Amino acid sequence: MAQQALFLIMAVFTLGMALGTVTSRNIFHSALFLVGSFAGVAVIYFLLEAEFVGVAQIIIYIGAIATLIIFAIMLSRSVTGQNGSPMNRQWAFAALGAALLFAALAWLFSRVDFGSTAQPVPEDAIALIGAGLVTEYVIPFEVASILLLVALVGAILIARERHS
Amino acid sequence: MSLPTLDFSLILPELVVLITALLVLIADLLWPRAASRGREQAPAVLALAGLILAGLLTLLAGEWSGATLQGMLVADALARYLNLVVLLAAALGLLLSWSYLPHFSTQRSEYYALYLLAVAGMLFLGKSIELITLFVSLEILSIALYVLTGFHRGQLAGGEAALKYFLLGAFSSGFLLYGAALFYAATGATRLADIAAQNAGGFYMLAGLALFLVGLGFKLAVAPFHMWAPDAYQGAPTPVTAFMSVGTKAAALVALFRVVQAAGSVPVGVWATALAFLSLLTMTLGNLAALRQSSLKRMLAYSSIAHAGYLLVGVVAGTAAGFDAVLFYLFAYAFMNIGAFAIASLLERPGFYAVQDAGIHAADGLFGRRPWLAVAMAMFMLSLAGIPPLAGFFGKLYLFAAAVESGWAWLAVAGVLNSVISAYYYLRVVVGMFMAEPSASAHLRLPLPASATLAVALTALGTLLFGLLATPWFQGISR
Amino acid sequence: MVPTHYYLILAAIIFSMGALGVLVRRNALIIFMCVEMMLNAVNLTLVALANQWGNLSGQVFVFIVMAVAAAEVAIGLAIVMAIVRHKDTINVEEINLLKW
Repeated sequence: MAQQALFLIMAVFTLGMALGTVTSRNIFHSALFLVGSFAGVAVIYFLLEAEFVGVAQIIIYIGAIATLIIFAIMLSRSVTGQNGSPMNRQWAFAALGAALLFAALAWLFSRVDFGSTAQPVPEDAIALIGAGLVTEYVIPFEVASILLLVALVGAILIARERHS
Repeated sequence: MSLPTLDFSLILPELVVLITALLVLIADLLWPRAASRGREQAPAVLALAGLILAGLLTLLAGEWSGATLQGMLVADALARYLNLVVLLAAALGLLLSWSYLPHFSTQRSEYYALYLLAVAGMLFLGKSIELITLFVSLEILSIALYVLTGFHRGQLAGGEAALKYFLLGAFSSGFLLYGAALFYAATGATRLADIAAQNAGGFYMLAGLALFLVGLGFKLAVAPFHMWAPDAYQGAPTPVTAFMSVGTKAAALVALFRVVQAAGSVPVGVWATALAFLSLLTMTLGNLAALRQSSLKRMLAYSSIAHAGYLLVGVVAGTAAGFDAVLFYLFAYAFMNIGAFAIASLLERPGFYAVQDAGIHAADGLFGRRPWLAVAMAMFMLSLAGIPPLAGFFGKLYLFAAAVESGWAWLAVAGVLNSVISAYYYLRVVVGMFMAEPSASAHLRLPLPASATLAVALTALGTLLFGLLATPWFQGISR
Repeated sequence: MVPTHYYLILAAIIFSMGALGVLVRRNALIIFMCVEMMLNAVNLTLVALANQWGNLSGQVFVFIVMAVAAAEVAIGLAIVMAIVRHKDTINVEEINLLKW
C-alpha cells in the first residue's frame, strides 16, 4: 500500500516536472524542471528495486547530463532572448500527433495486461549486472566504448577554436 | 563465473578499420619528423590503406558461414556484401576528401578518424543481430556523421545542417529505442534469434515494429521522416554527403531487413503494406522536390531521398530475391551516386570563407571544358534515371521484378512512373552539359586533382561494368 | 505491489510529452532536453520490463542507453556552442540559411 502511494506521488511529481520542462518560457527553469523529472524517475527505479540503475540515473543524468545542459544555457544566455513565442507555429498539429501517440501506447499497455506475474528481483542483482557486462553482454559493452571514443573525438573537434 | 572466449576473427574487418582510426588520430606523431613532405597526406594514406585492407579481408575470408559472436554479431553473406558496399563507398568518398579537405579545414587527422569510426559503426550495424548492439552501432555512425556534417568550419550552413541533423537524429533514436523496448516487452529477449523463436504474436510486436520503422525511417531519410536530409546533405562537405548517402542507407536497410525477419509473427501484409506506402511517398516526394531545385547538390540530395524509396521496394517484396536486388542496387548506387557527387564537388568553387555550392547550371557547357568529365557525368545521370545499359537500369529492373513476383505490381508501376519523372531533371543536366553555353563563371579553369579524377574514373567504370555484366554479378549475389 | 503496466503508462506519458516538446519548442537546447526526457521514458519502460521478465537484459540495456545519452549530450552541446559562437540565435526557425 505504501508502495502504491509512493508510486502515485512520484508519478505525479515526475509528470509535473516533465510538463514544466516542455512548457516553461524560461529556459533555465526548463532545465531545473528537467532535473526534477530525472530525480523523480530515479526514485521510481528504487521502487522497482533497480538500485544500480537508480544510482546511475542520478550520477549520469543529473550529475553529468543536466549539469552540461545548464552550462550550455549559461554560456549561450546572451543569444537566447525572450522575444517572441517560445512555441513554433505547428503546435496544434504537433499536440494532436503527441496525443495520438500517447493514446495508441496507452491503449496498448492497458490492453495487454501483464497481471501480477512479475518475477522476484534476484538478491544480488548488481553483481549479476556486473557479471553480465563482462560475459553475456560484453560485445555491446565494448561497442559502447567505441561510441564514447567517437563522442570524445567529435566534441574536441567541434569545440576547438581554429588557430590558423 | 568464467569469462567467455570470443572469436574476434569474425569481426576482423571492423577491427582493422577501428585500429586504423586510432592510428590516424596519432598519425602526426607517428610520421618521422625529418620526412615532413608527405606528412600532410599521412592520415589520408593510412585511412585508405586501412579501408583497402578491410575490404581485402572481407573478400578473402571466403564464404561467411553465419557464425555468430555470442549471438550479438553475425558474419553471414548479407553482412559480407554490406561490408563490401560500405567499404567501397567509404574508399571512394575518401578519394574525394583528399583534394577537397584542404579547402575547408586544417584538421585532417580528426576528420579521417571520425570518418573511419562512422565506417566501423556501419559495419557493426550490418552485423548486429541483437537490439542493444544494433542501437549502439547505429548511434556510433550517427554521432560520427553529425560531427562530419558540421565540419565546414567558418561556414554557417555546415553548423546548422549539423544541428538539424542532430536534433532530428536524436529524436528518431528515441522512437527506435521505444520500438526495441516493446520487442523486449513482447518476448523478454533482446537477441533477434530469441525474439523470432518466441514467435510472440500480439500488439507489442506490431507496435514495436511500427516504432522501429519510424526510427529507422529517419535514418534512411524515408518520407515523411526525410526533412533533415536535404539540409544535412547540402550542408555537409560533399565527400561526406557522397559517403553517407550510400553507407547509411546500406547499413540501415540491412538492419531493417534483419528486424523485419525477426518479427515474423507480425502478419507480413501489415508491415509490407506500410512499407509500400512509405516507399511510394518517398519516391514521389523526392522526385517532385528534386525537379524544383536550383542547387546541383540539393537536387542530388532529393534524388538520394527518391532512391531510398526505390530501395524500399526490395524490402517490401520480402523475398530473398528482393533483398538480393537491394544489395545489387546498393552497389550500383554506390558507383553512380558517388560519381555524381564527385563531379558536383569538382564544380564547387572554394571561396574565402566557404565552399560555394554548384548551381544547377554549373555543369552547363562542361563538354567544351572537360569532355571526359561531361561524359562521365552523363553516364551517372543516365544511370540514376535508370536508362539501359547502365548499372542503375538493371538495379531497378531486379527491384521491380522482385516486387511484381511477390504481388506488388502497383508498387513496381509507381516506381517506373517515378523513374520517368526523375529522367526529366537528370536529363536536364545532361542536355545542359552538351548543348548549353557555359555559364559566366566558367571561364575559370576547372582544376582536376588526381585523387578526385581517380574517383570519377572508378565510379564511371563501375557504373558501366555493373550494367554490362549485370547478370553474372546478380547471380553472384543471389548464390 | 504496483502492476507493471502502471509504469509503462507513466513512461508513455513522459515519452509523448517529450515528443510534443521536440515538435513545438523553438529553442534548440529545450528541444534537446525533451529528447533526453524521451530517452529517460524508454529507460523507465525497460527497467519495469526487466522486473516483469525477471531477467537483467533490460537493466543492461538501460546502462548502455545512458552511455549513449552521455555521448549525445557531449556532441549536441558542442554543436550548439559552435553555432552560438558564429551567430546569435539558436532558435531553429530563425536558423533558416537552408530551407526546412
